[in-house]
Amino acid sequence: MKTRTKFVIGGAVILAVIVALSLQELQKMTVFFYTPAEVLASPAEFEDKTIRIGALVQQGSVDWNAQAIQLSFKITEDGEKSIPVYYAGVKPDLFREGQGVVVEGKMNGPRFEASQLLVKHSEEYTVETEHKKSKEEYYKSILSQ
Amino acid sequence: MFLEWGSILGLAGCGLWIFLKLPIETSQGFPQKIMYLHVPTFIATYLAFFVVFAFSIAYLWKRDLMFDQIAKVSAEVGLIFCALLLVTGAIWGRPTWGTYWVWDARLTTTLLLFLIFMGYFLLRMSVNDRDKEARLASVLGIIGCLDIPIIHKSVEWWRTLHQPSTLFKVESGKASPSISPELFTPLIASTIVMLLFYLYLLLLRYQTEIRREQLNQLLAETQV
Repeated sequence: MKTRTKFVIGGAVILAVIVALSLQELQKMTVFFYTPAEVLASPAEFEDKTIRIGALVQQGSVDWNAQAIQLSFKITEDGEKSIPVYYAGVKPDLFREGQGVVVEGKMNGPRFEASQLLVKHSEEYTVETEHKKSKEEYYKSILSQ
Repeated sequence: MFLEWGSILGLAGCGLWIFLKLPIETSQGFPQKIMYLHVPTFIATYLAFFVVFAFSIAYLWKRDLMFDQIAKVSAEVGLIFCALLLVTGAIWGRPTWGTYWVWDARLTTTLLLFLIFMGYFLLRMSVNDRDKEARLASVLGIIGCLDIPIIHKSVEWWRTLHQPSTLFKVESGKASPSISPELFTPLIASTIVMLLFYLYLLLLRYQTEIRREQLNQLLAETQV
């Protein structure tokens, strides 16, 4: 066998392995977050693993302690299955009930302990009438801060 | 001349309009204003790399160096817009999402576009033969531009932190941008102005490139 042929075969094998490995990894990587339903369906799989869960903040579930800087809330997709989340950190500006969030952290029993709380806002942009009137007030409030 | 002052004054005018006249967006408040830089920048980036794609194909077909020249300068301007896109996105992400950067599909594929075209210029610099440079760069340019549709569709194909498209939103087969009209009109205006600015930068770079070639030719003649 010629040296050149060996190189080609060897190269092809290495390339195939790299492609196979990266495809496998890519499959996992491209899942940026899991849904509450996926996590609740197989709790054993997610135990002690740092994961992200993306869902909506359940109505009426937010408990924000500004003194202790602790935030508790529930996340849900459908309003039926939900996961309680605990986050020791500052509440983001856009955090509110019904807002999309992505939390990163670990499941601790039935509770999710988040180390990072990100807001996934919608692609809709609107103007409320009261905001039109209070624009000057809004600017003043920014400047005086 | 028109392009230069038209686009620069237009950008300044849009800035004044956006900060002095526009109402505050309901959900995000003040940080939403960076949309008027971020969205026009991404459309300019798309256009710049579409030009790269088209003129790279044209070069491989006709083998006219002029086409390669246009692809090259458009890639340069596109790279600047892509950098601006990543930066404005990060600045917008901090107050709204709560982070400058995440490795989600939209952001990662956009960074990939930036890196591919950094490599594109490294490739151009490493080849001495002008025709070979044009040939290799055209191939890489075409492949690199295939990232654009991936970027655009990334928010539909994968779960991402980045929200789906506002401007190109389609509902039951009809285009229906999900933005109120008073915020939409200035967005279109600033996009048009940004595209004029892209055109101005493109022509400027093309002219300087042509003159540099003429200068090199003159220098070569005097040395002979």
